[in-house]
Amino acid sequence: MSAVSTGTEAAADRQAERKWRRRGLVALAILLPLTLAETSYDSVREWLRGEDLVAREVAFGQSVPFGGSDWKLADLRGGKAGRLPGGAFAVIATFTVTIGDPDLQKQWLGCKLMLTDAAGRRWLPDFISGVSLPEGTMNCTSAIFSGARKGDTVTVGDIFIVPQDAVKTIRPAVGLSGERPWYLRFQRPPK
Amino acid sequence: MRIRVLGNLAILCATVALSYGMQVTKPHYAELTAPVPIDGAMHDTVRARSFDVRLDKVIFARRLKTDQFGQEKLLTTSGLWAVVTTNLTAVGTSTTVADGTWQGPTGLRYHQTERLGYRQDMPPHGVDPGLDKRGLFVFEVPPDQIRGARLLISARQFGPLDAQARISLDGLTIGADGQPAGILPEFDLDAPPSQGKS
Repeated sequence: MSAVSTGTEAAADRQAERKWRRRGLVALAILLPLTLAETSYDSVREWLRGEDLVAREVAFGQSVPFGGSDWKLADLRGGKAGRLPGGAFAVIATFTVTIGDPDLQKQWLGCKLMLTDAAGRRWLPDFISGVSLPEGTMNCTSAIFSGARKGDTVTVGDIFIVPQDAVKTIRPAVGLSGERPWYLRFQRPPK
Repeated sequence: MRIRVLGNLAILCATVALSYGMQVTKPHYAELTAPVPIDGAMHDTVRARSFDVRLDKVIFARRLKTDQFGQEKLLTTSGLWAVVTTNLTAVGTSTTVADGTWQGPTGLRYHQTERLGYRQDMPPHGVDPGLDKRGLFVFEVPPDQIRGARLLISARQFGPLDAQARISLDGLTIGADGQPAGILPEFDLDAPPSQGKS
């Protein structure tokens, strides 16, 4: 009698052990990816905050809220000017911005004006001797410290150097730290 | 039973040995995150991650003439001045290329000179996609570190896991005395870029 009961107990124990082993394996399959996600969360968020990855398309003439203000492409013009290397064009992009949240030092942190082309290449502002921004136009940094108040309209712009093969497809774009990974990409003004 | 104990002991010993081996051969953190080298030769375009670089010519001189704030300066050295002309382009996004190192045949590294102060054609070089830019890197090197040297160019000085172009300077003509051929007595950095040869 007692021998039989010991045999049944041992079998039951083995079965319980097997069950827990299986549960442990399943838990591992769930916990490992979760641990990985938890430990890399901060790095991923930090990386996304620093990259202009996802474009929000803006039609020409349209005004879009971005970083607490309304952004609209005012002008995009290019040509040969100043001292430029061969095959290069000077391009000036300007935006009309209606200030919503006047705390620009926070809202416009990491403000980046850029040009993108059809191939996905990006140009950042450059300095060209002999070329300056139109009267009344500021670059991002000057605008941040301009003391603009709510409801004011400021003109923000910058100068770029782009190669000839990109001039036909370039589009202006704006990125701000607080809005990344989203950025605004504007339709070119009609010719 | 005895075999099992012996087996367990053997596994324990093997584990200890393996762990110790891994500990002593563990690479330093700086080595693990070192720049990723991309090899190339002179006059070839080397494609680093964020920029393309082509080494056009190297000029050796005993003295370097430069204009600093309207004042002419003559820089001397106990070794040789190596003025390296490169052609730089950005790959996808406008960026800067700031770091140049001359690596001698024995592995000695000479960082680019900082005696010239700020100049437009000296690093950091601002580069744009699709636009070629002439960029200089100037080094002060002993004459015996020229044969078999390599030029290392990267976007910044400490760029963990970023690309580093490693261009071998095998196209240089070296004389019988181990010194490069055609050393100029003096090189003017502000003269139009046609003097000297590679």
